[in-house]
Amino acid sequence: MRITLLFVAAAGLSATNPGSSASQEPKTVHVSLATETAGREPKTFAPLVGSWVITKDAGKNVLFIDGRVWKRGQPAGGLADKARELYGARNEEFIESIKAFAYFPIAVYKGLDNFENGEISVRFQMVGGTLDRAAGILFDVKPNGDYLTVRYNGTEDNVVLWTFNNGVRKFVNRAPTLTPLELGTWHTLKISVHGTQMKSWLDDQPMHDYTLPRTVAGKIGVWAKTDSMIEFADFTVTPMSK
Amino acid sequence: MRFRHLSTYALLVAAMPAVVHAQAQKTTRRPTPGAKLAAECTWKPADAWVKRQAEFFDESKHDWSNDSLRNALLEAAGLKAPLKVPVQFGVHLEGSDSTSPAGAAGMVDVLKKLAATRGSTWPTRSVVGAAGTHAVYLLVGLDTTLAKTALHRMMEAGPVESPAPDVATLEDRLRLLAGRKQIYGTQFRRGTDGKVQLAPMEDSAHADLRREGAALPPFKLGLCMAGKG
Repeated sequence: MRITLLFVAAAGLSATNPGSSASQEPKTVHVSLATETAGREPKTFAPLVGSWVITKDAGKNVLFIDGRVWKRGQPAGGLADKARELYGARNEEFIESIKAFAYFPIAVYKGLDNFENGEISVRFQMVGGTLDRAAGILFDVKPNGDYLTVRYNGTEDNVVLWTFNNGVRKFVNRAPTLTPLELGTWHTLKISVHGTQMKSWLDDQPMHDYTLPRTVAGKIGVWAKTDSMIEFADFTVTPMSK
Repeated sequence: MRFRHLSTYALLVAAMPAVVHAQAQKTTRRPTPGAKLAAECTWKPADAWVKRQAEFFDESKHDWSNDSLRNALLEAAGLKAPLKVPVQFGVHLEGSDSTSPAGAAGMVDVLKKLAATRGSTWPTRSVVGAAGTHAVYLLVGLDTTLAKTALHRMMEAGPVESPAPDVATLEDRLRLLAGRKQIYGTQFRRGTDGKVQLAPMEDSAHADLRREGAALPPFKLGLCMAGKG
């Protein structure tokens, strides 16, 4: 029987580092934004592309990607410092790749160095976006800036797995179900990864059951596209041994 | 299904009898002179949304590549060059439309072919100029199937190449036609009592965020301009 321990990761708390306890019992990390400051960049996540700020929704802190200020090809401010914090000496390679992907706002969760197996979920609310209204879970983030994302796009009503490699975005797999969602309502996107098996859910409805070409290993976070205005909350990760 | 008319342009002109040009205005405008207007109905040329529209529709650099296509589009849409597109409030009143000009159908067919051809060059701002993109918006509104494809193309092209207020207004219109609710608050209907009513809308709480992103005026001003405020 699996014992799930719950704890709240305070902003910027990386000492718990669940990624290093792969052989132990799974621990679900509920990332709290309660100690963050509204109107400022998050401390819990490293915004690498786009304008990510903490804002209030119904009195609760949420992470907001503000697509109104999105500009193509423009990473978030302080990218070099953030990349250095995440990847140390390998930050240059990371920065170059991120610049190539600047079309897609991302914020990397600081509290977990390496996610290989387990579950990640996040609640999101589409607020707006003239070009896109996309909310995604970022995973398999490599030191060179490559990554995978499972995202919902409100302009297409679908959930799609994308891969980003060496500056090139490629479609991998589209979930067969179209699910129109109303703006201004909260929904939950979830993925599970066990070896090469990747599954996804939207509001508990199965979306993907897909075999990846390889296992994943890397950082995780949240993802958006171009001018999307999305609120994220209740980012949760449960790393598992396999 | 076809839309019957070149609606939005006609409505905007009707709403602004003086045909205000964003680039030229120096003072606060009250666009329906003589009417009793709420404070929400006023706007200034310095307002961010007006400036964004003015920047997009500034054609002083003549920096588009296809004059012949542009001219054909303007003619088919019933627009005269040199065109100064009036300030757009993002207000469309169902049933207030004017008849589409002669020759529009032929250009709609041209746009259909472009939309259906993989790798074709869609008439964006760098191809046909800002006025040309507004003409495209007016023309694709004549055909629902084309409008769906065109909206996708316009969204893909992005805010530098596509007129954001037109994209938002077109999306609202298509959502209503598909039985969904609008999201920008640009679509209005006249009720049985003759009063103008906002067509069904979702998440009005965040409407101003979306409208700001689309270079549209605040929701209250839109409502006011539609005779609702």
